[in-house]
Amino acid sequence: MEIKYTIQGLLIYATIAAYLSAFVTSLLRRAKTGHILYLFGFAIAVFSFGYRWYHVRHVPLQNLFEVFLCLGMIYPVSLFCRRFLRVGGYSADMLIGAIVLFPAGFVFNAEPQQLPPALQSWLFTPHVAVYMLSYIVMAKATFQAILQLAGKAPNPGENLLGPEQATYRIICIGFPLLTLGLILGSYWGKKAWGDYWGWDPKELWSLASWLVYVGYFHFRYMFGKKHPNINSSWAIAGMTAIIITLLWVNLSRLFPGLHSYAT
Amino acid sequence: MNKFRRAVTWVALALIVFLLFLSIYGAFIGAERAKSLVSRLPVVAYWSAFLLLLILGLVVFRRLVRVPGLLLIHAGCVFILAGAMWSSEKGHQIQKKLFGTDKITTGQMRIHEGHSDNRVILEDNKQIKELPFSIELKDFQIEYYKPAYLHIQTRDGQGWRIPVEIDTEFPLGPEFGTIKILRAFENFKITIEGESRKIIDDPQPGSNPAVEVQITSPEGQVTNRYVFERFGGHARPEDKFALSYRRVISDYISQLRVIKDNKVAAEKDIEVNHPLSFGGYHFYQHSYDSEAGQYTVLMVVSNTGLGVVYAGYWMLCTGVIWHLWLRHIVPRIKLKNK
Repeated sequence: MEIKYTIQGLLIYATIAAYLSAFVTSLLRRAKTGHILYLFGFAIAVFSFGYRWYHVRHVPLQNLFEVFLCLGMIYPVSLFCRRFLRVGGYSADMLIGAIVLFPAGFVFNAEPQQLPPALQSWLFTPHVAVYMLSYIVMAKATFQAILQLAGKAPNPGENLLGPEQATYRIICIGFPLLTLGLILGSYWGKKAWGDYWGWDPKELWSLASWLVYVGYFHFRYMFGKKHPNINSSWAIAGMTAIIITLLWVNLSRLFPGLHSYAT
Repeated sequence: MNKFRRAVTWVALALIVFLLFLSIYGAFIGAERAKSLVSRLPVVAYWSAFLLLLILGLVVFRRLVRVPGLLLIHAGCVFILAGAMWSSEKGHQIQKKLFGTDKITTGQMRIHEGHSDNRVILEDNKQIKELPFSIELKDFQIEYYKPAYLHIQTRDGQGWRIPVEIDTEFPLGPEFGTIKILRAFENFKITIEGESRKIIDDPQPGSNPAVEVQITSPEGQVTNRYVFERFGGHARPEDKFALSYRRVISDYISQLRVIKDNKVAAEKDIEVNHPLSFGGYHFYQHSYDSEAGQYTVLMVVSNTGLGVVYAGYWMLCTGVIWHLWLRHIVPRIKLKNK
């Protein structure tokens, strides 16, 4: 763990501070101030991402540092879920934002890298971007699934969906993104390496994450809301597979493969 | 849901969970072993069962046919599985038996600059097959990002990365002095003329990248050193720091020409992400001569079944997006417009 005494590092720490302040303020029932702080944190996160983009001169989605920097821009997802899906967890999103920025701020190496030939493709940005968006959406779904298992429900006055229904709605948003990421990756693999499916550990873990959600949809189709806790467990299992895909596969020596440049 | 349909759904769920665990197991054993595992008979039987179950699902569940999104998703999976099986090694063997088409599934070609070849070394490294046309390598180039960098690492873990800019002096602090890059070589060589040794950048084919640096110690003592890209370990016991010279490859380019019936049938500069397609095959930039950059290694892959897989991808994506997003959004927009 190291502290980054750079402009980039300071921007990350400022974002984390703003998100955490927003979270604490929200818990103290000062929703408006919390929202302003959250928005402020998001503005710094966007600036930080833009700064990195300018610094490395390519879309900063190459390695784990840049990917986590991107994941820190969670605000639009939480706003969308609240406004259009009637899904809560707004305060938790502030905490998720701070948590995902923590590895970028303290763990991952921020040294700029040049794009290797395989990454010089128009598919680089859409493939990684849709995956990142799907991961953050699925993280929100997982939070709702945990609420379901913990037996928590939104206050009646808030006009929000119950956690089981909310989990389903968010997964319905995230699953097409996950599918798109998988297929774009496969198409890119064909263009770059000659094979649309190379049985690489990262590919296989991505497929495993996708299959968990496929299983979730089939199980929910069979039983509906009869077993809300099992439905939620599927969602949590999906997020576990995503975390392994994103982190363990890249960081562990157990899984050497074609995606090792993302480390 | 009647008993039969429920049983079909349970079997579908079981097959999904089996594939999930197979994927996780495959991730632990590595790509090579996973690839051979999925083409073994029991797993081939599994793929066939999955394919049949998808088709059975489309027959048994009317909803899967009536709801366009669900139809696209499930039919897309059928296409992907069928296309993958058709394009596999075993699929090619079946096509040979049925239709007499003898296509190379996948292999490699090594072609030297200025030469043409039609021989493909198959994946098992034992057989060589010939293409009905030849590939000529006009030129092979490696491009590097500029500037290249000299990396300096002290014994206590301090490090610098300085751009290779000729005659620019970089201070390393009061403990280490300064460093200046005097010259950069593409192909470093030492020639002996009479009794004197001469260091040259040899224009002849070959590659030995290096830089000549001048180190000035804090006491004013000046030493010249050569740092080579391909040979590490440039630190003597008395040295305060180790030097390494690194260039990052930005592109590999093979300028190819396809010769068929003694005529040039196609020409393309292939790079990573930009393969050549010709005669039912794709040609990929796979490897190269790292010693002297004199030859390229191309990967040759048959395009059989690829269109079916891509059609499946389109159907799956369109189906998922339509069923989970657009099916809900479009009526709302229409209602709003009314």
